Amino acid sequence: MDLQAVAFYVLAAMLVVSALAVVLIPNVFRAGLFLVLAFFAVAGLFITLGADFLGAVQILVYVGAIGVLLLLAIMLTRDVHHGSPGNRLWLPASVLGALLLGAVSWSLLNTTWADKAAEMPVPATAALGASVFDLQNGFILPLEIGALALLAVVIGAIVLVGEKK
Amino acid sequence: MAIRTQPVSINIGPQHPSTHGVFRLRVTFDGEVIIGLEPIFGYLHRGKEKLAEARTYTQFIPITDRADYLASMSNNWGYCLAVERLAGIELPERAEYIRVLVGEMMRISNHLMAVGFFLNDCGAFFTPLLYMYREREKLLDLFDMLCGQRLNYNYMRIGGVSQDLPVEFLPALKKFVQEMPGYIDEYEQLLTTNEILLARSKGVGVLSPEQAVNASVSGPVLRACGVEWDIRRADPYSIYPQLEFDIPTGIQGDTYDRFYLRIQEMRQSVRILQQAITGIEQLPHGVYRAHVLSLVRPPKGEVYSRIESPKGELGYYIVSDGGVSPWRCRMRGPSQLNLTALRDMVLGWKLADLIIILGSIDIVMGEVDR
Amino acid sequence: MDWLHWLFYVGVILGAVPVMVMAFIWLERRGLGRLQLRPGPNRAGPFGILQPVADAIKVLTKEDIVPVAGDHWVHFVAPLVVFAPAMLVFTVIPFQEDGGLVRGLVPDLNIGILYIVAVSSISTIGVFMAAWGSNNKYSLISAFRSMAQVVSYEIPLALAILGVVLAAGTMSLTGIVQAQAVPFIVMQPLGFIIFFIAATAELNRTPFDLMEAESEMVAGYHIEYSGMKFALFYLAEYAYTVGISAIAATLFLGGWKAPWGVGPQVGVLWLVVKILLVFMVILWIRGTFPRVRVDQLMGFAWKFLFPLSLINIFIIAAESLAWPGLPWWLLFPNTAIALVLVVVWSGLFRLGGGRVQV
Repeated sequence: MDLQAVAFYVLAAMLVVSALAVVLIPNVFRAGLFLVLAFFAVAGLFITLGADFLGAVQILVYVGAIGVLLLLAIMLTRDVHHGSPGNRLWLPASVLGALLLGAVSWSLLNTTWADKAAEMPVPATAALGASVFDLQNGFILPLEIGALALLAVVIGAIVLVGEKK
Repeated sequence: MAIRTQPVSINIGPQHPSTHGVFRLRVTFDGEVIIGLEPIFGYLHRGKEKLAEARTYTQFIPITDRADYLASMSNNWGYCLAVERLAGIELPERAEYIRVLVGEMMRISNHLMAVGFFLNDCGAFFTPLLYMYREREKLLDLFDMLCGQRLNYNYMRIGGVSQDLPVEFLPALKKFVQEMPGYIDEYEQLLTTNEILLARSKGVGVLSPEQAVNASVSGPVLRACGVEWDIRRADPYSIYPQLEFDIPTGIQGDTYDRFYLRIQEMRQSVRILQQAITGIEQLPHGVYRAHVLSLVRPPKGEVYSRIESPKGELGYYIVSDGGVSPWRCRMRGPSQLNLTALRDMVLGWKLADLIIILGSIDIVMGEVDR
Repeated sequence: MDWLHWLFYVGVILGAVPVMVMAFIWLERRGLGRLQLRPGPNRAGPFGILQPVADAIKVLTKEDIVPVAGDHWVHFVAPLVVFAPAMLVFTVIPFQEDGGLVRGLVPDLNIGILYIVAVSSISTIGVFMAAWGSNNKYSLISAFRSMAQVVSYEIPLALAILGVVLAAGTMSLTGIVQAQAVPFIVMQPLGFIIFFIAATAELNRTPFDLMEAESEMVAGYHIEYSGMKFALFYLAEYAYTVGISAIAATLFLGGWKAPWGVGPQVGVLWLVVKILLVFMVILWIRGTFPRVRVDQLMGFAWKFLFPLSLINIFIIAAESLAWPGLPWWLLFPNTAIALVLVVVWSGLFRLGGGRVQV
């Protein structure tokens, strides 16, 4: 077993365990911390695939921003010490979740993926930039639409918390 | 869609590095903004006014020292002046000159400390404070040379001072007075136009002249509002009528003005010191006290006399029944009355501003609580 | 030989970085003392060199107090989460030209600078964990403020770094050092100023050190920590300071290169000299300025640094497109633009005020 396979299995196990911990642990703050751990595992998986830029951006955005925001929201909530409230629908929810997992796994394993053996160019960042900003097949339009959506979000946030005169 | 908020009430003190002594504030916040303030003091009450009734007039002098422990000479002076006015005692001229010398040295020392700690509260992490302490150390060495004490001097007596100036005192004082304007320039160079200091203190904690006069505020806090009221000119005592000095005033009554005013007052004190030194050199050595019994018995009556201490109008109201102890001795501490104006200055500002405004009033809890 | 590289680095980072940080702590205390007309610690060993050692021993023998109602596990892990990123920053700073004795040992991460920015955003999670585990209302408030400060100043920091990346054409730190024929501090003065101010704010140092202010009531997110855990927070702050100085030295001052190529080619020593230089300036600022208020802090980040850093990026991008490789004579228009912008913008932007009608 080469190092890459070992790394993949370790990280994948870490990811699955933290994801399960997020939904099963009663202390909401610790569940949030396990979510952050899951983000780290995803970043690690990106790096094993050679997508170093994506791995760093995953940490920067998910851990450094979204994880922080999530923890901030948890800390501002009162009565978090009492833990997650019980849910009467946990049995149907787990059954549905298991069914979804089965369906997704079956469809993933039975699809022929194109470019399965394509090598990641090194350095990956330059190739990524070139393909995004490529004038023929690039993704400039979705990038700009995403930027516009973010702008709308920021303006909306400012309006929501603005002082009422 | 408005987010529901609730004002929160928080205690600051009594143990806190920035409340200049044991002083408690109960502050009500709306987010970061202060909407209510309740000062609670009395933690340092030692019953001085009651102690006065059990001691003779001279025995009470060391106790006055500890009221405003950072400006002890002024406390002594205020008290001795009151008793002398009550008993009708005239001082020899040399004694008056000595009192003015030590009084103005005290003013410089106090303002150095006040400005230094104000900047410390602003966050300048001790650097300006230690620079000002360098000069204050020289002053404290001079006081040590004079009366053997650095902080609580117990130097003045009813009718004069307790001992004459030592031979090496005046040359050392002359050297200090010569160098001091240069040092004040050094402070001004870094601080007066410092952008961050201006941003923190200009326009912050404004006290209008009407509010100040209404609240009996006095001293640098009152003069910063633009009211030109200095007891040394308004109700003169000692030899101040013969001395030439200006009364600096502020423009707006904000924190910056209070800070800058103290620096200007230091310059004026240096000017007074120069005149007093030339004056005292011409007087014969040895006449430092009027011939008054230590166990002085002022005639029956009452007196209210006041002096301009570095913090404001320090007043003593003494009622005598003809005995060796006062029947009633009341100290009007300027810090206490200046503190009552804190609420007007602080409402609407934020917590960091509260600390700065409190530092700019320059209070000493010994005087507030007595 | 990858194992050797890995082992070398683990050993160096784990061993050398704490020692270096302690040396810098000593330097700070002596330097601050000298700025304040006093000698600084001079009892423990000659010139007080053993003072950090004495502090370390003191801190290790202190009682470890843990708040009963807080989350113990979170309280325990928080200092680690704050300290680890500070050490991780050192793993990618190139200290020498690759070749000769150190062939294969010098780090050359493709995404070097992006890695540094990403890793330094991890410590915010640690701050939250510390505040939560302390079960203290004021720790929470202070952690929120600290996070707001760090996040607000991360943006001008990243944009200033982006200017350097645009000019160098690569994110790898070794590549950036090699692209500096003329150090970027001269070519991009505006970028350096923004980077420096934003870095000072990221490090929670004066004039932006509201977290450590005794004159503020909220006493910081590490108020409930004692003993070695507190020392870890303290060490993390200094390690991060030295790390930022190292980054500034690499990005803007030319890293391990000797100035104008003259002088002995001992890369590490030049790097250390440059780190000391940047650290001394940070220290000097600490000993001189008062601190800003929290709303002034945010206003400064968003209304002053952020627009300036955007303008900086536009200028650098335009110059990189027109004259790829950035010839040296571009330093004149860049310096002129920087001066004009700073003077004009600071004239328009005024801190202060902020009274709310009660």
